[in-house]
Amino acid sequence: MKKITSCLFILVLALSTILAGCGGSSKTESGTTLNVYVWTEYVPESVVEDFEKKTGIKVNLSTYSSNEDMLAKVKSESEGAYDIVQPSDYMVALMIAQDMCEKLDKDKLTNIGNMDDAYMNPSYDPGNEYSIPYLGGAGAIAVNTDIIKDTITSYADLFKPEYANQLVVLDDFRAVIGMAAKSIGYGMNETDPAILEKVKEKTLSLKNNIKLYDSDSPKSALIAGDCTLAYCWSAEVALAMEENEAIQVVYPKEGPYLFLDNWVIPKGCKNYDAAMEFINFMMDAESAKMVGEEFPYLNPNKAGVALLGDDFINNPAKNPPSDAIAKGEFVDNIDTDSLAIYDQIWTELKK
Amino acid sequence: MTKSKHSLRANTIPAITTVGPITLWLLFLVAIPLVYVLVMSFCSIDEFYNVSYHFTLDNYKRLFDTNYLQIYAQSLFIAFFTTVICILLGYPFAYFIARAVSKRKAILYMLVIVPFWTNSLIRIYGWRSFLGTNGWLNTILMKLNLINTPVEFLYNRGTILLGMVYCLFPFMVIPLYTAIEKLDQNLIEASNDLGARGIYTFSHVILPLTISGVFAGSIMVFIPCLGFFFVSDILGGGNSDVIGNLIERQFQSGNNWPLGAALSIILILMTLLLVRIYQKLGGDMESLGV
Repeated sequence: MKKITSCLFILVLALSTILAGCGGSSKTESGTTLNVYVWTEYVPESVVEDFEKKTGIKVNLSTYSSNEDMLAKVKSESEGAYDIVQPSDYMVALMIAQDMCEKLDKDKLTNIGNMDDAYMNPSYDPGNEYSIPYLGGAGAIAVNTDIIKDTITSYADLFKPEYANQLVVLDDFRAVIGMAAKSIGYGMNETDPAILEKVKEKTLSLKNNIKLYDSDSPKSALIAGDCTLAYCWSAEVALAMEENEAIQVVYPKEGPYLFLDNWVIPKGCKNYDAAMEFINFMMDAESAKMVGEEFPYLNPNKAGVALLGDDFINNPAKNPPSDAIAKGEFVDNIDTDSLAIYDQIWTELKK
Repeated sequence: MTKSKHSLRANTIPAITTVGPITLWLLFLVAIPLVYVLVMSFCSIDEFYNVSYHFTLDNYKRLFDTNYLQIYAQSLFIAFFTTVICILLGYPFAYFIARAVSKRKAILYMLVIVPFWTNSLIRIYGWRSFLGTNGWLNTILMKLNLINTPVEFLYNRGTILLGMVYCLFPFMVIPLYTAIEKLDQNLIEASNDLGARGIYTFSHVILPLTISGVFAGSIMVFIPCLGFFFVSDILGGGNSDVIGNLIERQFQSGNNWPLGAALSIILILMTLLLVRIYQKLGGDMESLGV
């Protein structure tokens, strides 16, 4: 018996390291409490407090740090545990495909006119039947012009051998492999094995230039001077630019990788009306302005952006130029066989 | 007859109340999750990446992918060197604590324990800002004119090793300390009296009597090392994955839980194998703190 318990103890040790990565917590209350599940550091407290004051609805915010965490949590909780979630583009599509979203009653969304048409009616949710964009960004290039004197214009430039060990990239396989694909004229969502073979070769040729993979705070390596080039979210570049004026943002001429995070009401929501009120409140120009002040992501609320002033509007990292966005591309869900190929490429790159 | 019945009941109630909770604990928090992981490792995923309960061996086939094999080898390599470094640094240190006067002993022991009170993630980030291109260490070295341009300390296997040793050092010191503390001082004196020199006394008396501590410490360091993905992420810059990274990825962006489960099974098997080797070498399970 002792031997068995001992073995089990060791297993717990091993398991705990496995489980360390999976976490999260939530509190669910009933009544007029709205359970809102959002990305970490993404929704300002001040805006939520405003909403609570104006409507008397209590908001219970809980946070996640990946779309996959959110999906797993929503699936494992009982129906109605969350009234609002905030999935990215491809995750909206995945949730719609599994009938996990409530349709949005457009009549209740009186502020919808504040939104920029460029971000409405997206490929992942035609007609915005289930989702309203909140914030987004582009997979931009950041250049420390103190050190990098060449003009960088494209993703393809990042592959130049002279930038050995200079690059920080997003720790995200679809983002990096998709970028490599775009640099040789393909798209973010290729599934043809013959094309993927070429993409693999291109991706692996970036290995020598990558110093660091970091999705949480790629700006840190830029600001600290560890890296002179970055492939990361435009908002991260904006924050880095505030710390170091030599850092500049470049939108690749191939067209950038784009993401948009959206308000979605999961199926079985218990406070549908309050949830709609919340989404409508977030589309209010004043709310969008407060969001933009705190989080300099691409803001699809044009009325809000107008209130943010020239500093925001003329800053290409905070307010990506529309011609760059027009050429952008979202990540889409791919079949499981192709996913395995992407995973293989990524494992080979990171080993 | 009545007597034995009586004693049976007399034994049952205390048994249930004392062993019951831990049995339930082990059943619900260890045994059932383990079985779940094992079952999941034979499942496949559907078009929406959900786990679907269709039996397949594909996950296990994918484990033999050459890239994965290289990552297992790399994990074992890192874990092995972490353990060796921990022994080399930990043994003299543990010996020093165990032989110190009691007042100083408490202080030294605290020096090992206190850093535990801070989250290891924060401590690892601390190393990152210390070793960065414009970090403290480079700044100090440049101020002292020892170097002209910053040295690239970060984001290689060396820094992963450093982070692992730093995180796991106490797990080596504590069992070593326990083993060395139990060592009877008279045996060392006897050895000296009989003419053995310091090195001979160490190799023939001290080391054999404390080897259980070395074994226990090695197990406690080696096993977590295979799974500490955050160290390789933060200090290795994501360039040198360990098994923990592979598992984490499949449960996150990779969206393939069954493959992640199969990888976890590999990690569990490696762990069991190591414990078996430990026992074969004469290691005592109680020294592992169980």
